[in-house]
Amino acid sequence: MDLALPRVADQFAAAADKAVSGAGGVDLARRAEADPAIRATQVKPILDALGVHDIDPTADVESAAVAGEMCRVAGRYVLPFPIVGYLLADPDHDMPAVLASSPPLRCDHGDLFPRWRVYDLAGGVSVSTPSGQPVGSRLAPFVTDLNPPGAATGTSLAGVAFLSTLWAFYLLGVAEHSLELAIAHVKDRVQFGRPLAAMQAVQFQLADATVAVDGLRELAHFTIWQVVSSQVVSSQGATTVADGLAARLHALDVLQPVLRLAQQLHGASGFCEEYDISVLVRHVQPAVRLPVDSEAMCEIVFNAIQTQGFTSLFSK
Amino acid sequence: MDYEFGEDGEQLRSQLRDLIADRIPPGYLGAFTDEPEDLAIAQRFCKELASRGLLTLSWPKEYGGRGASLWLQTVVREEMWAHHEPRGAQYMGLNWVGPAIMEFGTPDQKRLHLPALAAGDEIWCQGFSEPDAGSDLAALSTRAEPDDGGWRISGQKIWTSYATIADFCFLAARVPGDGSKHAGITIFLIPMDRQGVEVRPIKSMLGPHHLNECFFDNVWASSDEVLGEVGQGWKVIRRSLAYERVGIARYARCDRLLSLAARQLDGEWDSVPASLRARWSRALLKVRVARLLAYRCVAAQARGEATDALASVARVAVTQCDQEVAETLFQLLGHRCLDGAKSSAERESSEGGVLPYGAVEDHWRYAQAATVASGAIEIQRMLIARSILGNHGSGAS
Repeated sequence: MDLALPRVADQFAAAADKAVSGAGGVDLARRAEADPAIRATQVKPILDALGVHDIDPTADVESAAVAGEMCRVAGRYVLPFPIVGYLLADPDHDMPAVLASSPPLRCDHGDLFPRWRVYDLAGGVSVSTPSGQPVGSRLAPFVTDLNPPGAATGTSLAGVAFLSTLWAFYLLGVAEHSLELAIAHVKDRVQFGRPLAAMQAVQFQLADATVAVDGLRELAHFTIWQVVSSQVVSSQGATTVADGLAARLHALDVLQPVLRLAQQLHGASGFCEEYDISVLVRHVQPAVRLPVDSEAMCEIVFNAIQTQGFTSLFSK
Repeated sequence: MDYEFGEDGEQLRSQLRDLIADRIPPGYLGAFTDEPEDLAIAQRFCKELASRGLLTLSWPKEYGGRGASLWLQTVVREEMWAHHEPRGAQYMGLNWVGPAIMEFGTPDQKRLHLPALAAGDEIWCQGFSEPDAGSDLAALSTRAEPDDGGWRISGQKIWTSYATIADFCFLAARVPGDGSKHAGITIFLIPMDRQGVEVRPIKSMLGPHHLNECFFDNVWASSDEVLGEVGQGWKVIRRSLAYERVGIARYARCDRLLSLAARQLDGEWDSVPASLRARWSRALLKVRVARLLAYRCVAAQARGEATDALASVARVAVTQCDQEVAETLFQLLGHRCLDGAKSSAERESSEGGVLPYGAVEDHWRYAQAATVASGAIEIQRMLIARSILGNHGSGAS
């Protein structure tokens, strides 16, 4: 038993965080909203410099953990780039992967690439292309409609498991940064002659959020290990697709109340664009809603557990 | 990164399951039911575990253990709690009384107690809570006054589990001192048959033996019965509670009961409301997360880096999971669970399998205490808040 992330993943995460925060952090999302072109001209070069295109999350535990940490760091800053799909792109990195439910298909940053490999939640794989420009709304600045996909080119439950697990890392990043922002704010903000942090109602909510985020972090680590190390036996019928889908479900269940709390504790500042929490809340919405949000996801997880199993101490 | 227990762990798990299947009746609901035979079963089972070296697996060899890793001890905890703790009250002795005596005890105290605990011969109770000192444990007022080279102890303890069957009490009392709240607390290791000790059971929804009042009326204690230094008992208590908070693998029983319920519902899921199917799915996830947070604590303990906050985070997750799973199970299996199961026969189906109804009823009742026992969940939240907010956090200690 060794719960620690591989050292290489910790080192990569530190380097990635330094690179992204050094380039502006959450400001990259603000700037991309004003000028969507910077996603290709400024954000992608950061990822290229980090060597993201050389990471194959399916290769081994170390690579999977590095990929997970890249997604977590991207989530911390709602990095305006389709990092999850890019990590699972084809070898030439010109066709990222996207998780999809029933049509019509949509994809965050779908306009950035000419083709997308579509993994439906049942494991079917096909190819699609963007059908236009991003929606450009406040909650979906970069969501792009995709054309109906072509004929199925194969199946890959493992692909679904990897995509879903990496999304859990991304959502973890958003949750942990939101919580950090809330903690910093309540220490700083004085009302009734004392910091908000001195109030027990505030303390207890932050304690509960800490339990939730810590639990999500442990689950993400466990799931990426499970998904990558079970590939060896998957040819014999064992899959971890329910585990991967469940990790995204839990991430959604954790993120929603943590985001709500973090925004609430910021008071009116929490809606203001100059505060990072507001940008996090807006820009994470496509990751929360696509391909389906939590209640629909839960039905999918239930069915996956029934058909594919879910490992526990007494599941055998 | 590896979440496997390894060959040793899997063998141990398999050995324990075989032993339980062989020695414990199907549908066993623990030592503390209305059937006295259930307690006798636990006492026999402890002796058997001890004879196989499984009772104190992770204790050092010099104290009657096998020096096994905390991870193997985790396997034992999981299998025991999952199967309704067939060690009875012994888990306390193994999890925290023994380790506290190893850490703070004199050579004579170690010789007196550790072999007896390792053999399954000695049952302990914890004399901490008082009528006016629950969550605020350091406010305890049981007094120990110097007397003729020893001490005279007077006061009242409450909520004392297993006091009716315990051989010894791990007793916290206040000695005369400078009046500060934490200084002056001292731990005494008191035989429960000593003159002046009276136990009165408290009837509760948890069942017999779980809750008692203990009265100490001018009870004599020798200076050899002080654990650690006089006035340094708070340090011993904090260490003990840290051991205790992660010592019970509540998630393992949740895991087993969810599996039993799923088997019971096999083929009938379509008749279960979608919202309840969702709740069951999420319950499986909560159990997994609680287990992983408990493992994080074990890993920290193994590195010698355990903290109050890590234990509290795990404790909040595990106890809330316990209650959520209890309610989910009750709703899944319906009002038949209300009937409970008084006898072993009522716990078995005509096909010889185990019916989960009685276990769910038992689990639901016991889970109500999960967020109070071993430090109320509010205290855990205060400890977590202090760790994330620094000086702004509240003053739980």
